Amino acid sequence: MIQHGYEMDFSKQTFGVILYGAPGIGKTTLALSDGTMGADTLLIDLEHGVSRTNPIHRMNANILSAATYEEVLKDLDTDAARMAKNIVIDTAGSLVDYLKDWAMRTKSDAKTKSGSFNGLKGFGHVKSELESFVNRIKTVMNKNVIYIFHCDERADKDGNPIQRLRCEGSFRNTVWTGIDFGAYIQMIGNKRYACFTPEDEFFAKGCHGISGHIEIPNLNTGVPNDFMARLFENARKTMAEENDAVSGQLDLYNGVISAVKDMLEGVTDADSANACMNAILSLDHALTSKKESSMMLNAKCKSIGLKFDPQSKSYVPAGDGK
Amino acid sequence: MRFKITKTLIESWQYIFDCYEGGEEDAMNDFLHTLRREPQEPTEAMKNGTNFENLCYKMATTAGAQIDKQEENWLKGAAKISNIITGGQIQVPVSCDLSVAGRDFWLYGICDVVKAGTIYDVKFKNKGLGSADVYGNYLNCSQHSFYLRALPEAQTFIYLVSDGEDLYTETYTRKDAKPAEEYIMNFYAWLMTNPELLKIYDERWAVE
Repeated sequence: MIQHGYEMDFSKQTFGVILYGAPGIGKTTLALSDGTMGADTLLIDLEHGVSRTNPIHRMNANILSAATYEEVLKDLDTDAARMAKNIVIDTAGSLVDYLKDWAMRTKSDAKTKSGSFNGLKGFGHVKSELESFVNRIKTVMNKNVIYIFHCDERADKDGNPIQRLRCEGSFRNTVWTGIDFGAYIQMIGNKRYACFTPEDEFFAKGCHGISGHIEIPNLNTGVPNDFMARLFENARKTMAEENDAVSGQLDLYNGVISAVKDMLEGVTDADSANACMNAILSLDHALTSKKESSMMLNAKCKSIGLKFDPQSKSYVPAGDGK
Repeated sequence: MRFKITKTLIESWQYIFDCYEGGEEDAMNDFLHTLRREPQEPTEAMKNGTNFENLCYKMATTAGAQIDKQEENWLKGAAKISNIITGGQIQVPVSCDLSVAGRDFWLYGICDVVKAGTIYDVKFKNKGLGSADVYGNYLNCSQHSFYLRALPEAQTFIYLVSDGEDLYTETYTRKDAKPAEEYIMNFYAWLMTNPELLKIYDERWAVE
């Protein structure tokens, strides 16, 4: 199906999310906050830690426990996984450990002669399998994917605390590329916050109107555990608004770039270059089309032996001493 | 009289404070080279960065581009980047005037790629992305603040970071970017406390 940009429907848009923070801060409970006591969620419990959450918040959730990575894959091919809207990986650092174990058992070069993990070769296998795993759940199965990470507190050069994801290999970096939101969960005073804007102490990622510190409700007061459900809903609403605002601009931008490409076909000498320059300036521009158009004209002029003369503000033959 | 200011100058100054323990003297010497606008011999790491960037551009602009031996190791990462930047304009100069603390500055830079309202900057990591944390490294980088300021039509700035295999992206919008003036103010205030260095700056960075 081909849609025009302005016709796009974001009502079923899925997201990738990172949640990280100190042990006991409530990351798993937050990941289960789909507003249905977990009915919309499949939790891949790789650390066997879901038992520490309040039973009410996982009442309807499907919990995937597995001893090996192969078991995880097998369980993803079930109705429970297919029906879920959200897949929680608890924790992503443990998933890498499962994959190291898988690589050592199935890839001969992932194990050293002494039987330990061969980081050099092994992480290559872990990385490519992880890519395909993430692709499967995010793109093919079209789920919201929530990655939970523990965090390590380290010190920067001046001794100030910085919070980092606890995870081996390149995934701790590349995971940020495929996600929409990344929050550091922390206590400020006696309240919990999901922090979506990066600060010196921690990295974070926000978009589609989700930014800054968002307070996580105290669930003891009987409020529903629906933080993520509301977050996704708000993001979808903002995406639709952003799309309405931008699609006109993007259409105009594409129109200008296309028109300029056509105009450049007719540039053969200084006169036609200067006429083209004036025509470009008179266009109704959008986004960075004006800058890009002048770069395109400049490249074309250079290719036919012209240069821009700043004094006369026009293109002249490059050999001209002016 | 205006004074040219670039992200390279600010970065080399910031590095005096952010360098590894014991590297302060080297950092200061590097900064002095930059301040004096002395040409510097590129290190192996810098050459790799330039070569990788050129590979990305080549793949983005030339169908069936010839790839040499060294570039073969970087094909995977370069392909991920070229997919993003294809169709954009490469090496786009941008500039603007701004006034800080009563002094006129001319902010100048070259965007790696500009495409549909987004500025892209290609970064190469000589060490694999698995060996160190990269995320958040650009939070205090003046580059996105400067370039978004100098190209007001751009909405977003994206760092495209690769080790030749993987790709890490870090995105900043206009709203996320610290004011360019803040970086310039801090730099200028520091120069004011170092009259000899301020004199060098005044001499070497003045523009008509």
